[in-house]
Amino acid sequence: MAALKKFLLRWEAVLVLVLLLVNVFNTMSSPYYLSVTGLLDATRDFMDKSFIVFPMAMIILMGEIDISVGATIALSSVIMGVAYNAGNGIPMIAALLLALLVGTICGLINGLILTRFKELSPMIVTLSTMTIYRGIAYIILKDQAAGKFPSWFQEFGWGTVGPVPYVLIVFVVLAVIFTIVLNQTKLGRRIYAIGSNRTASIFSGIKVDQIRILAYTLAGFMSGLTAIFLTSRMSSTRPNIGYMYELDIISMVVLGGISTSGGKGRLAGALISIFVIGYLKYGLGLNNISSQILMIVIGLLLIISVLTPNLVARFKRWSMVKKSHRQSLPGS
Amino acid sequence: MSEYILKLQGITKIFPGVKALNQVHFQLKAGQIHALMGENGAGKSTFIKVITGVHQPEEGTMTLRGKQVEFKNPKEAIAHGIAAIYQHVTCFPDLSVSENIFAGHEAMRGRLPVIDWNTMHSKAEKLLRRLGSDLDPRQQMGALSVAQQQIVEIAKALSTDADIIIMDEPTAALTNRECEELYRITEQLRDEGKAIIFISHRFEDMYRLASEVTVFRDAQYIGTWPVDGITNSDLIRAMVGRSLTEMYPPPLSQPAEETVFAVRGLSRTGYFKDVSFDIKKGEIVALTGLVGAGRSEVCQAIFGIDRPDGGRIDLLGQQVEIDSPLTAMKLGIGYLPEDRQKQGLVLSWSIEKNITLANLDRFAPGLLVQEAKEKETAERLSKLVSIKCQSVDDLASSLSGGNQQKIIVAKLLTADLKLIIMDEPTKGVDVGAKHQIYQIMRELARDGYAILMVSSEMPEVIGMSDRIVVMHEGRVTMIARTHDASTTQEKILEAAVTRVQHEEPAMGGR
Amino acid sequence: MKLTGIKQQKHGAIGAREIGMILFILLLSLLIQLRNAQYLTVENLNDLLVNAAIMGTLAVGMMMVIITGGIDLSIGATLALSGMSAALYVRGNEAASPVLAVLIGIGIGLLAGLINGLLVGYGEVLPLIATLGMMNVYRGLTYIIANGAWVSAHQMNDGFKALAFTRFLGINSLVWVAILTFAGGAFFLGWTRIGRMIYAVGSNPEAARVTGVNVPAIRTLVYAIMGTITGLSGVLWVSKYASAQGDTAIGYEMNVIAACVLGGVSISGGSGKVFGVILGTVLLGILKNALPLLKISPFWQDALYGLIILFAILMNTIFKRMVDKNNLQRRHI
Repeated sequence: MAALKKFLLRWEAVLVLVLLLVNVFNTMSSPYYLSVTGLLDATRDFMDKSFIVFPMAMIILMGEIDISVGATIALSSVIMGVAYNAGNGIPMIAALLLALLVGTICGLINGLILTRFKELSPMIVTLSTMTIYRGIAYIILKDQAAGKFPSWFQEFGWGTVGPVPYVLIVFVVLAVIFTIVLNQTKLGRRIYAIGSNRTASIFSGIKVDQIRILAYTLAGFMSGLTAIFLTSRMSSTRPNIGYMYELDIISMVVLGGISTSGGKGRLAGALISIFVIGYLKYGLGLNNISSQILMIVIGLLLIISVLTPNLVARFKRWSMVKKSHRQSLPGS
Repeated sequence: MSEYILKLQGITKIFPGVKALNQVHFQLKAGQIHALMGENGAGKSTFIKVITGVHQPEEGTMTLRGKQVEFKNPKEAIAHGIAAIYQHVTCFPDLSVSENIFAGHEAMRGRLPVIDWNTMHSKAEKLLRRLGSDLDPRQQMGALSVAQQQIVEIAKALSTDADIIIMDEPTAALTNRECEELYRITEQLRDEGKAIIFISHRFEDMYRLASEVTVFRDAQYIGTWPVDGITNSDLIRAMVGRSLTEMYPPPLSQPAEETVFAVRGLSRTGYFKDVSFDIKKGEIVALTGLVGAGRSEVCQAIFGIDRPDGGRIDLLGQQVEIDSPLTAMKLGIGYLPEDRQKQGLVLSWSIEKNITLANLDRFAPGLLVQEAKEKETAERLSKLVSIKCQSVDDLASSLSGGNQQKIIVAKLLTADLKLIIMDEPTKGVDVGAKHQIYQIMRELARDGYAILMVSSEMPEVIGMSDRIVVMHEGRVTMIARTHDASTTQEKILEAAVTRVQHEEPAMGGR
Repeated sequence: MKLTGIKQQKHGAIGAREIGMILFILLLSLLIQLRNAQYLTVENLNDLLVNAAIMGTLAVGMMMVIITGGIDLSIGATLALSGMSAALYVRGNEAASPVLAVLIGIGIGLLAGLINGLLVGYGEVLPLIATLGMMNVYRGLTYIIANGAWVSAHQMNDGFKALAFTRFLGINSLVWVAILTFAGGAFFLGWTRIGRMIYAVGSNPEAARVTGVNVPAIRTLVYAIMGTITGLSGVLWVSKYASAQGDTAIGYEMNVIAACVLGGVSISGGSGKVFGVILGTVLLGILKNALPLLKISPFWQDALYGLIILFAILMNTIFKRMVDKNNLQRRHI
């Protein structure tokens, strides 16, 4: 009984409960929702951005943050679109690889700056690069759109294997890989160590800089991957694509129980949160909630995602202090 | 009763899992310098924090000027005329000296909420001149040296009209000349009628300044004696609890002839210069000196945390380039850091995971970490160094200082090492665990490890080492065999506080 | 032990950095004038000043936030929200009082700032996250209260539109607001106890707490001040451009942050001078003014601001490393 209680009190269990509630709410909003196809189709909305949740989890576990991912999506997408549509355009396959390359480079730049200039916080560096990357996207495409992709390109965002969208399959594969990496490998162990005590990690011979560069570069690569799937779903690209995506992604990680102070939390929580937040937004769309209200919801979600674990932790600390005071009185 | 300005009786302070103070007593007169001595972890710092209102005791009374008091926070203590100067100055580096002195009670223009800079700067200047310093109060605090910051701290104490001043290890980072300055200032304050509690490891500070000395050991009050009525060995026995000979286990073997490790002319701008010494197989070499002499910096350069600007490092006769801790470890150098909580452990992790952290490759030859192998190794090593715990799954944070230190030793033993650097290995460790750590060191030496032990405690240095290297302000001032008749405590101390170089003619090996 | 050279950092307004910036501003102006003689005309300089005025006003508030070690990304949205609120009050209402409009704007801004402050100070939410999240909330609210429409010039009464164009003693009201804010900010930060507490919190929060400073309250305060200033500026903005839209001032926070960083305000907190921020604002104002004069498309602006910020913080870091290295070399080893 005590074990069951402990399991239920775990954050992930709470999240599963919330997920169920969200789905109940959604079912009431639309008769077509509660079916296998309905649920699977809904994932298309948010699966593409979920790719970035994995490297973002790594970054936040190390006590850092990256808010440039939305801008990286835009830059990768825009360059892909422009390169393909240009006068002597490159073949689409090459454009796809170019998107991945651009994303990777954007992430690599973040990683290199942060490791060479340790005095700078990830906040200000990724804030600057975010502005620069999206700015470049605007310079390239101005206020235009680039589309006219080959018809097979749609397959990324819209294709399915049976009822299961491609995006979801990619997500599942990534989920399996990253869960193993974070929970069972040396790299995962080291990432948690860096987030818990960076100095002790250095003294233990962990190559902290290398791992940081890896995480940011991976975030860039995944942004490129997201760009491909997102652009495919939209069938066109504009410089404002992916705007504010970092909010959703960070919310998914933090709501999942991965604290911004680093070293704590499990990927499983973030994975559940992806669906919690994803389905929630989808459901609001079903109810024809305007995009402006959606904006507010996204903002509030981020704040609630951070506040809730914060307040829960503080409550726990407070009750532990009371407990130890009782225990440490003379005579005990 | 009223001859004592401050009296504490039966003070007990408990933290989760540890009794930091156990029924301690203390009495202080005005116009007196009273020394408080004891080893690291004896409870001196906690005691000071009780007096200054940072901590509230669970038991006991504090009587100030005849009235019983209890301070809920530091502000109350300051308001009652108590000020403390700590070894690590907490200040606002971006603000000026004057602001640091008057933080919280700045000079205002009349009744307006406007700061009167001129008055504040001139008041600060007066305080500094009174202490014999010619610092410009308008300077940024962060630009000052440690000694200068300390003087500012004293000025701060005076600015609150404190008449009880506590100095916690103020001489630890000072040069000879700066020490004399501090002595002068302290005696001046005493002559002005202030009551001073002076905490220091250095017996010479005590002999020079104090009229009485109180000793704490293992959170307990041992006794109070007049300074000219106690001998060095009495004092050591009071502080350590056993006589010197019982505390330090005898060597289990003799060092070999073979030199395992050597540094030649190692330098790092601003920290140390031209450092040269060597260590033989099975030898324990003590690296001693005052705080700030550069010892930890030398160790961190050897371990690859920082890059030296000049000189060479030789391991087993071959020159090596050490660019990172990982390289150092691969070459066979291990480091037990000075700050075990910040640098050595992940407190929120289990003993097991801490032990394996430095050598994960060994436990994960493929991609995945082999948890069974991890557990087996952790349990074996934990037993080897006698970590007191229920299982290796216990959290590191729940262990005492001594046991935490043993976790780090166990962590080092997961690798094949030739040289082990131990930086203040028994700092903040209780006596029982200290003895165990010393025993482990003897066993390691017998097994052929070369050991470099950084220590500020003279008894430990003399009791454990085969040779001593003394540093002062970044340079090596003395290298000698510990058990030579000519190697006296006085000589070591002199080498630690001055620049005089002692050339020992027969210094086994270059 | 007297110290000399660059190591002696006194508590004064003008240091090497500021002098360097002044020289750079003069040099830059010269170069721009050579490319386009329209630059150094009374008309253009006046334009420059008025446009930079709002940025400067906001920079004072942002400076206080950054000194405590925080940041506020929501000011663009707050500008829009407060401006839109005032505009909606004024819309179609001939008798609308401009004073009341300003008060409405200030009130909204103050409320927004207060919320930010409470989240950071007492909720212990990272400033980046708190203001990023609230930015969306305020922006969404702006769209909602506007109900998809704009408020345009012909819907505003003359009194309101005149707010941004009145002159006292020949100086434009916006510039007056900037001047008063700079002066008020400098006095507050330099001569009041609370102002010094702001620096203390940024320099060493632990020591500040021990000294008795109410750290959460100070953190809340700076965001509330930022919000109030933003609220006022929002109304003036809408008056100046005689239009209030849902996407007013999107991204403007980057301008203001750039002005602060260029002005020498350290992103890690604890230091920053009003005079430096004035220079940073002037420099940024010049750049903004010069872009069309040099025929650079406005689409380049965002990337440029990002580069400026990145460049400024890298330079600050490199400079500090040099100073530290110099200090180390002076140690007598």
